[in-house]
Amino acid sequence: MTKKIAHIDDDPDIRDTVKRVLEMHGYQVDSYHTSSDFINSLDNSEKVPDLAILDVMVESMDAGLTTYIQLHERFPKMHAIFMTSLGDTILPYFENKSQEWVCILEKPVQPTILLTIIQDRLGKAS
Amino acid sequence: MTTANFSWNRPTQELDSTLEKKITYQKLSDGILISNIRLFIIFRWAIVLGLILFQIVAIVASDTLTQLGIKDQEDWPLAVTVILTIANIAYAYALDYCQPSKHNTPSINIWVQIIIDLLCLSVVVHFVGSTETPAPFFYILHIALACIFFSTLESLFVTAIVSAMYSILLVIESGMFFQVPQSMLIDAHYSGEKLHKGHILVWMAALNTLFLTVWYVVSRLAIILKQHEQHLREAYEQIHQAQIAKDQYAMLMTHQLKAPLDAIRSKINLINGGYCGPVPTEIADVLDRIDKRGSSMAKLILDVLRLERLKTAGRNLEAIEYISISSIIDKCVEKLKPVADARQVELILSIEDFRAHGIADQIEILIENIASNAISYSHVGKSVEISSIVNKNQNTAVVSITDHGIGIEEKDLPNIFNEYFYSPRAVLHNQSSSGIGLSLVKIAAANNNLQLKVTSEPEVGTTFFITFTDIQQIDIH
Repeated sequence: MTKKIAHIDDDPDIRDTVKRVLEMHGYQVDSYHTSSDFINSLDNSEKVPDLAILDVMVESMDAGLTTYIQLHERFPKMHAIFMTSLGDTILPYFENKSQEWVCILEKPVQPTILLTIIQDRLGKAS
Repeated sequence: MTTANFSWNRPTQELDSTLEKKITYQKLSDGILISNIRLFIIFRWAIVLGLILFQIVAIVASDTLTQLGIKDQEDWPLAVTVILTIANIAYAYALDYCQPSKHNTPSINIWVQIIIDLLCLSVVVHFVGSTETPAPFFYILHIALACIFFSTLESLFVTAIVSAMYSILLVIESGMFFQVPQSMLIDAHYSGEKLHKGHILVWMAALNTLFLTVWYVVSRLAIILKQHEQHLREAYEQIHQAQIAKDQYAMLMTHQLKAPLDAIRSKINLINGGYCGPVPTEIADVLDRIDKRGSSMAKLILDVLRLERLKTAGRNLEAIEYISISSIIDKCVEKLKPVADARQVELILSIEDFRAHGIADQIEILIENIASNAISYSHVGKSVEISSIVNKNQNTAVVSITDHGIGIEEKDLPNIFNEYFYSPRAVLHNQSSSGIGLSLVKIAAANNNLQLKVTSEPEVGTTFFITFTDIQQIDIH
């Protein structure tokens, strides 16, 4: 079955790149411009993804982190990946969060590395 | 139509004018009270010990005491010793073994201590001599302590209790209402005369005035001290808030600077990954070069943020801990392995584990940057050796990182830790050098009290030695 991936990023070029790479490898990708668009889409069960790629600084400094907390509360088993320009310098903002659960990638991610990480995460999820 | 009002008030730098009023009612924090309760308990044990010694001396050398003019004591020393011992055990028990509740707070604990101490002191004053000896002056100690540990109003209440206790004692002793047998420390034969009412009234008025004066002076001083403490706390809070705002601003700027670069590089990845169709080798090569320069710029932007953070963080005492050096080195190696592989540089580890005393993130930044440089400035196909050796006798350890690369010229060596310094030779070898890496190392070393030593020979290689002091050794059995 085709795995569904949600990607949230306010940068259209990054959204386009990720969509192209993932769709070419058989994933179904729903791209969102804002975190709230993504959270609203979760009311429709068909839109609930197997994995979410979150940006950290969309709309506000910590919109991505808030989305991550909401997502983790509603779908504790869903995997999420952070993809941010700030790389690991964002880590101080992840207080008391499981390092195992949080995966932070620095933009731009090499397509091969992104695919490997997604396969690894989805493998664990299934 | 949506309407929103905006107003940007400048944050007030002035301190609250009602601060003094607030402080008048302010007590010390529970943490300070608890540490002082322990101190008082120890102090009280010393008094109990003194009383026991006094009783032993009274039994063993009663004749000598009589010659000194101190007559036989009745049972009061024993009674006071027993009361203080039981009370002291109860205070310690309430503090360490009972759950804190609204009836068991550090403040209530100190209040009970003061009341019982004052009662015991009144007994001592009565038997030792309320107007013949300096015993009543010990009341002043309790007033001063109350001024320090309680609010002004509560300390006034303590002063009133002291005054009342001493006055009642004098009234009872003088027999103004009824006759009470006297038993003073100083023999009536030596004290010279019997108490009379005028004498008593003079003492009562003088000491009560003294109690009130001491309360006024000490409570004023305590208010000033508490005001200063409050000012410091508020200033610290303002600095802390400013630091948070500064970090957020730095993050925002970093993000805004780096995001367009990331978008450009993501498109390069797309083309070079073949997602836009076949790419001629020549174009792929040009794109690779563009991406490399972009990557250097991205690294520089993030390094500037890291440098700012390290400078601001300083030596944050709360973050200092003992951390396994092996786990830090493993993390760094995991991050740097792809870079080393790309440059065909082999990473050779020889680690004797120990626990370093410092801030984990900063030590990681330090080792990662030195190791990253070692890889970047190595000749292709060579190795980088990372090793650690523990000096058990001196309780120190040295981590060394050695490369076999371009080395550093003698004239450049003293400058390598200067901010933004880089030598043309180094840039020729590694275009992605930002010149910030070793500045990060320098600040991290200073924040964590680490000593660095560098030995280098051009075209042979460089070794960085990092000396850790005050380590925790790990026994391997």
